[in-house]
Amino acid sequence: MDIISFICSPGVLCQVLVGLSRTVILFIVASGLSLILGVLRIPNIAHGSLYMIGAFMAFTVSKVFGGGITGYWMAVLLAPIIVAALSFIAERAIFCRLYEREHIMLFLLTFAFALIFGDLVKLVWGAEYRTVSMPRFFQGSIPIFGLPFPIYNFFLLIMGPLVAIVLWLIVNKTKMGKISRAAAVDREMVGAVGINVSLVFATVFVIGCYLAGLGGALVAPIVNVTLGMDHTLIIEAFLIVIMGGLGNIWGALLGALIFGLTQSLGILIWPQFGIIFPYAAVIVVLSFRPTGLLRSTW
Amino acid sequence: MKRLLLLLSFGLLGLVLVVVSSHAANTIKVGIVDTYSGPPAAYSQDVVDGFKMARDKINAKGGVLGRKIEYTTRDEKFKPDVGLAMAKELVMKENVDILAGTINSATALAISDFVKKEKIPFFVSNAKSDRITGQMGHRYVFSTNENTAMAGKAAAVALAKMPFTKYWIAGDDYEFGHAIGDGVWNNLKALKPSVQLLGQTWWKVGETDFTPYITAIVAAKPDFIIVATGGSGMVNFQKAAKATGLADKIPFYQHTAIEVTVGQALGMDAPEGVYGTANYLFYYPDTPANKAFAAEFKKLYGRYPKMTALYGYITAEFVARGFQKAGSMNKEKFIDAVEGMVLNDTPVGKMEMRKCDHQVTLPMFWGVTKKSPEYKDFLIAGDLVTIPASEYMPTCEQVLKTRGK
Repeated sequence: MDIISFICSPGVLCQVLVGLSRTVILFIVASGLSLILGVLRIPNIAHGSLYMIGAFMAFTVSKVFGGGITGYWMAVLLAPIIVAALSFIAERAIFCRLYEREHIMLFLLTFAFALIFGDLVKLVWGAEYRTVSMPRFFQGSIPIFGLPFPIYNFFLLIMGPLVAIVLWLIVNKTKMGKISRAAAVDREMVGAVGINVSLVFATVFVIGCYLAGLGGALVAPIVNVTLGMDHTLIIEAFLIVIMGGLGNIWGALLGALIFGLTQSLGILIWPQFGIIFPYAAVIVVLSFRPTGLLRSTW
Repeated sequence: MKRLLLLLSFGLLGLVLVVVSSHAANTIKVGIVDTYSGPPAAYSQDVVDGFKMARDKINAKGGVLGRKIEYTTRDEKFKPDVGLAMAKELVMKENVDILAGTINSATALAISDFVKKEKIPFFVSNAKSDRITGQMGHRYVFSTNENTAMAGKAAAVALAKMPFTKYWIAGDDYEFGHAIGDGVWNNLKALKPSVQLLGQTWWKVGETDFTPYITAIVAAKPDFIIVATGGSGMVNFQKAAKATGLADKIPFYQHTAIEVTVGQALGMDAPEGVYGTANYLFYYPDTPANKAFAAEFKKLYGRYPKMTALYGYITAEFVARGFQKAGSMNKEKFIDAVEGMVLNDTPVGKMEMRKCDHQVTLPMFWGVTKKSPEYKDFLIAGDLVTIPASEYMPTCEQVLKTRGK
C-alpha cells in the first residue's frame, strides 16, 4: 500500500485527532505532575487519586446543578477547585512539615495519600461506577474527513492548547512563576534571598493538583468514572513525565503527544495488540535518551 | 514472661478450637463467591437477592431435611486469584456444603477445577464461558445460567436472517469476551458461509475510553459489529456508542444488551437500535408466573428483577429440591438427584438441569433496544423473538465431543 496515501487516509487522520484529544487529558495531568516534580522534587503518587477525585467530584457537582450544560460547566469549574483545596489542606497539614526531612519520606507520604484517597472515594461515592451525562451540546459527532469525530473530543482539542498557554503564562510571565522556576533550580539560594520557600511550594503543589482535578473533570463525560482510574492514570502520567524529562512541562507535552498518538494509531494498525504501542514507544525513547527527551530540572 | 506467653497462646488456641467446633452443623451452608465491587456488582447483587427470596420461602416452610439454608458471600473483586482463594476459604474454614458464583468466567473455571478435587457441588450462577459445562465440565459443576455457546448460536440464528455480510468483532480481552465472540462467529459462519470477518479489536478488561477503538472500527467500514463485552464493558461501550453516534451508523450486537441491568445503568442515555440476546426479562413473556416473580421481587427489594435474580432464584431451588430428593446430606446423592431435575414452575416456565453436561435449559430472547411509553427510566427490548432451548443449545453429543469423550 502506498505509504503516503495510507498516512493521508481519512481513517488515519481521524485517528490522529482522537489520539490528540487523548493527549490533551494526559498533558493536563502530566504537566501538573511534572510541575510538582520539578519544583518540589516530590514524585506525587497521589496525583492519579486526585484525578479520580476530580472525576467523581465532577459527577457530584453536575448532579447538584441538575446535569445538562450548566451542570457540566459548573463541574469543570468547581471540581478542580475542590481538588486543589483538598491538596492545599493535605499540604499545609502534613507535607510542609516534611520538607526538611529525607526525600524518601515525602515519596512514601504521597503513596500513603494515594491509598487513603482511593478508599476515601470508595467510602464517599460507593463501589459502583458513575456516569457523567454528556451535555446535549456535545453529543454526537461531526464528520471530519468523512468519518464521524465526536464533538466532545473536538472541544478537548481546543481546551488543550488553552490550558497549555495559561500554564506557560503562569510559569514564565508571573512573579510567582519565576520564583518557582528559581526554587526548582536552587531552593536554598531562594530561601537565602528572603523568599518564603514554603509558600512557593504550597502554591506550586496546589496548581499541580488543580491540573490533576481538571484532567479528571474534563475526562468524566467520555469515560466511566470508576474506582481504579487512579492506578491506570498514574502509571501513564509517570511514564510521560519520565519520557519528556523530569520537571520539564514541554517535555510533558511531548511525552503526552507520543503516548496519545501511539495509543490511537496502534489501535488502527494492529487492533488486537494496540495497547502495547505506547509502552513500546516508552522503551524505545528511554533506550536512546535515558534522561528523557528534553532537559530535566533534576 | 515466657511462661505467661506460652500459657496465653495455649489458652487462645483452646478458645479458637472451642469456637470452631461449636459451629452450628444443622444447616445447609451455601457459599457464594462473586464480584460485589465495581461495574459487575450491579449483576451480582441480584443473584444474592434472588437466592435469598427463594431461600426465605423454603426456610419458612421448614427448610430442607429439617435444616435451614444458610448462605454467606465473599467479594472476589473480579480477580480470579482472589476468587479462588475465597472459595478455598469457604470450603476449608466455613465448611460450606455448596459453592455458588461468580460473574467472572476465569474465576468460575478456577473454582470448578478446585471443586473437582474437593468433590463439592458448584453452581455457576453468572459466568457464561461455554467451557464451564462444555470442555472443562465435570460431575461437580453445574450452570444455572446460559453460556456463550448458547448465546452465540442464538445470536447467529437471528443474524443469519439479516442482510449483513461484512462483520467486525470487538470486545474485552478475556475468557468471556473471546468465548462469546467465537461463539457468535463460528455459528454464524456455519449458518451463512458468505459472511466475511474484516478484523478484530480487543481491549483490556475495564477499558474506559472507547473513542479511539470506535473511530478505528468505523474507518474499516463493516456492516455490523459483534461486540463481545462482559460485565465491565457492557455499559461503557453503549455509552461511548451513544456519545460518538456509532449506534446510528453501524448496528451492533451485545449479549444482554437488551437486558434490564444495562438498561437501568444507562437510563435514557442508552442508544436505541442495539441488538441483543437475554435469558430473562421481567416484562416478557407476560405470564402469570413471571408477573408474580417480578412483583414479589419488587416488593422485597424495591426494584425490578434483573436476569441474575432468576439465576440466584433457581440456584436456591435446585439446591433445596436436590437435597430433598436425595433424602440426605450426602453430596454424591445430591448430585444424582439434581441431574436431570426438571423445574416446572419457574418464572420462565419449564427448565431442566441436563444430565449430560449439568447445563440448565433456558429460553433465549432476541430483540432491539427501544424507548417505551410504559417505562420512563430505561429502554426496553422491542421486536422480541423467543428462541426455545431446543433450537439453540448444543446437543449432548456435541458437548461430550468437546470433552474428548
